[in-house]
Amino acid sequence: MDSRIILGAIIVLALVLAPAVLSPALVNAGIQMLIASLFACAFSLLCGQAGMLSFGHSAFFGVGAFATVHAMNAVGGAGLLPTPFMPLVGAVTGLLVGLVAGWFATKRTGVYFAMITLAIGELLYSLAPHLGGWFGGEAGVSTMRMPAFGLSFGSNVQVYYLTLAWVLLCLGLLYLFTRTPLGRVALGLRENTRRLRFLGYNVHMASVLVFAVSTMFAGVAGALQAINIESANYVLFNLDLSAEVLLNSYIGGVTFFLGPAIGAALMTFFGYVVSDLTTSWLLYKGLLFVAVMLFVPRGIAGLVQTVAASVRRCGFGALAASFVLHGVAAALLACGTVFSVEMLQRIFSQDYLSLARLGGKAWPAISLFGESWRPLAAATWLVPLVLFAIGLLVLREAMRRWRAAIEAATRGSDEANDPAVASGAST
Amino acid sequence: MDYFVVSLLNGVIYGLLLFMVSAGLTLIFGMMGILNFAHASFYMLGAYFAYALQPYLGFWLSVVVATALVGLVGVVAERYFLRPVHKYGHAHELLLTFGLSFIIAEFVKLFFGNFPVNYRIPASLSFSAFQIGPSTYPFYRLLIGAVALAMFVVIYLLLTRTRVGIIVRAAIHRPAMVEALGHNVPVVFMVVFGVGAALAGLAGAVAGAFYTTNPNMAIELGVMVFVVVVIGGLGSLEGALLASLLIGLITSFSIGVDYSMASLLALVGLGDWAREVGGLLTLKLSSLSGTIPYALMLVILLVRPYGLLGEKE
Repeated sequence: MDSRIILGAIIVLALVLAPAVLSPALVNAGIQMLIASLFACAFSLLCGQAGMLSFGHSAFFGVGAFATVHAMNAVGGAGLLPTPFMPLVGAVTGLLVGLVAGWFATKRTGVYFAMITLAIGELLYSLAPHLGGWFGGEAGVSTMRMPAFGLSFGSNVQVYYLTLAWVLLCLGLLYLFTRTPLGRVALGLRENTRRLRFLGYNVHMASVLVFAVSTMFAGVAGALQAINIESANYVLFNLDLSAEVLLNSYIGGVTFFLGPAIGAALMTFFGYVVSDLTTSWLLYKGLLFVAVMLFVPRGIAGLVQTVAASVRRCGFGALAASFVLHGVAAALLACGTVFSVEMLQRIFSQDYLSLARLGGKAWPAISLFGESWRPLAAATWLVPLVLFAIGLLVLREAMRRWRAAIEAATRGSDEANDPAVASGAST
Repeated sequence: MDYFVVSLLNGVIYGLLLFMVSAGLTLIFGMMGILNFAHASFYMLGAYFAYALQPYLGFWLSVVVATALVGLVGVVAERYFLRPVHKYGHAHELLLTFGLSFIIAEFVKLFFGNFPVNYRIPASLSFSAFQIGPSTYPFYRLLIGAVALAMFVVIYLLLTRTRVGIIVRAAIHRPAMVEALGHNVPVVFMVVFGVGAALAGLAGAVAGAFYTTNPNMAIELGVMVFVVVVIGGLGSLEGALLASLLIGLITSFSIGVDYSMASLLALVGLGDWAREVGGLLTLKLSSLSGTIPYALMLVILLVRPYGLLGEKE
């Protein structure tokens, strides 16, 4: 427990000191990462802890953002509240809209719940562009951050600290929520609603409340986004944003408290770095998500937990070789995938296809990773195939070593615990 | 009167198209309990495969080959993606199909670009069937409806009149019992999944030529198909047909109606007040045509949560 508190303190300290060493662009990316983390944690309260899979959570993010923009424009542009307290508007709106939407959605469970949330999200998305007064039509609504308490909120460093303060506060509250009776009931909603009903709980009411708490924090995340970019557009209601938070949370590990935050921060950062380099960023994200679903169902946080448990049991030395091999295998498979995707993307790009048509039979070479490749040559496609083949072989060896180490540790502890076996072995 | 006939025809045919996609979805759900998020992606794949093959195979052959290819994709998706995660539960399967739909859409963008492709009706089929008032009615729309109807008849006969149909229907209700009787249920599941995917692919290959073929067509139709199966009752083929026609007719008729809540309130003398309030009250029904199905779904879930023809849980 102590080491966790120390680790948490180090992370918070690093987040506080970060703007001093980062470039403005990276500070901006940091703001996005913080907002995405909060949104993912709010989503996972519903999805990971209460077991209700929502496909329309962007609705509440968007509602929070629009309410905040309107609040900032209220009173002739002076704002309803001082700028630092604006996220409260998002929280209240998220809570109220969540109570109404949640009352509908939590009438059913499982896949029905998922579809109702999807329908609520799509309902808002299809309605919003027609309601110009509230959502500003296609153009959206824009606003200005007003100075407050001697702070101008002109630079993005000040916005970073405002966002950081709110995100840390909200994550703290979300954590405390899991300790409240309602937070414990949320786990019961996931595990066994029938039993909960027998114990005398009003399951529908409890679901609505958990739903509303989740949407309240989603509203705060939306408000922070509105303060950051000083505008809101109906595109916020799009399924893309709901999909993003879902992917981020599951990649991070939805059943762990900080898993979604880690997933969201990592994916947002990768998005920031990679989206300039490739147009296929979303494809990689989708592939990563499916790979996580297939092979690491508990996400990055679950993987870390498994690895930590194994290290405690077998010692780092016994597993070190396996770690290195796993890393090499992952790198090889990733390289093979990236090479194939980038190659295909270049071959099927509009420019290249028209170039190839002009050139007749001879397809021009494609430059990729500092080399030029002939798209129809066998050597070109041998590269990813060899990468995949070696990667799979290394992976097999890594898994074999892993199993052997675990087995050795299990046998060792059995012998230590069982004197009969130990004496039998010595004689 | 002309408006009425044209809207009726358009609505019925759009409804039949919705049915072609939702039939597979509802069968798969009834059987495996999986809500297949990627189902509409199979519809999109059908359109894109047919588009890509058309220059080489001609229209009809490419429709057939595209249908078969999409069925194959469905079999692969079931065997190598869904079956391994079956042990983690239905929510996990739903998420996996969601991931698949995401990947399929991105692959389509990779190969065909993030814009509509020029998938057209062949010239030999592009003529008007008959004249209604001043306007003509395209023959191809009728063809879409005819394909959907033929498909419904074939599935219905297959499920109710053949031995395979008996096994499939039994596997929907009591998979464990069917397995105990010596039938290979996992293979039945795989085949049903493949056939469901192929049906969606057929719908895409035929309808993609008439409507637009773009990377967003899956999500646009997919959400509507979910609405259809919830309204009709998950797992019910007849319910899917009824709900598809209902949604098709509502969408098609509401497009031409220029009334708003304010016009309704004007009948009781509140018209001016409503126009002053604005917002939802002055929205014309025509601009709400995309929203009504979702609202209808919420109403259905309130008054009849298991759908129009679904079984009570």
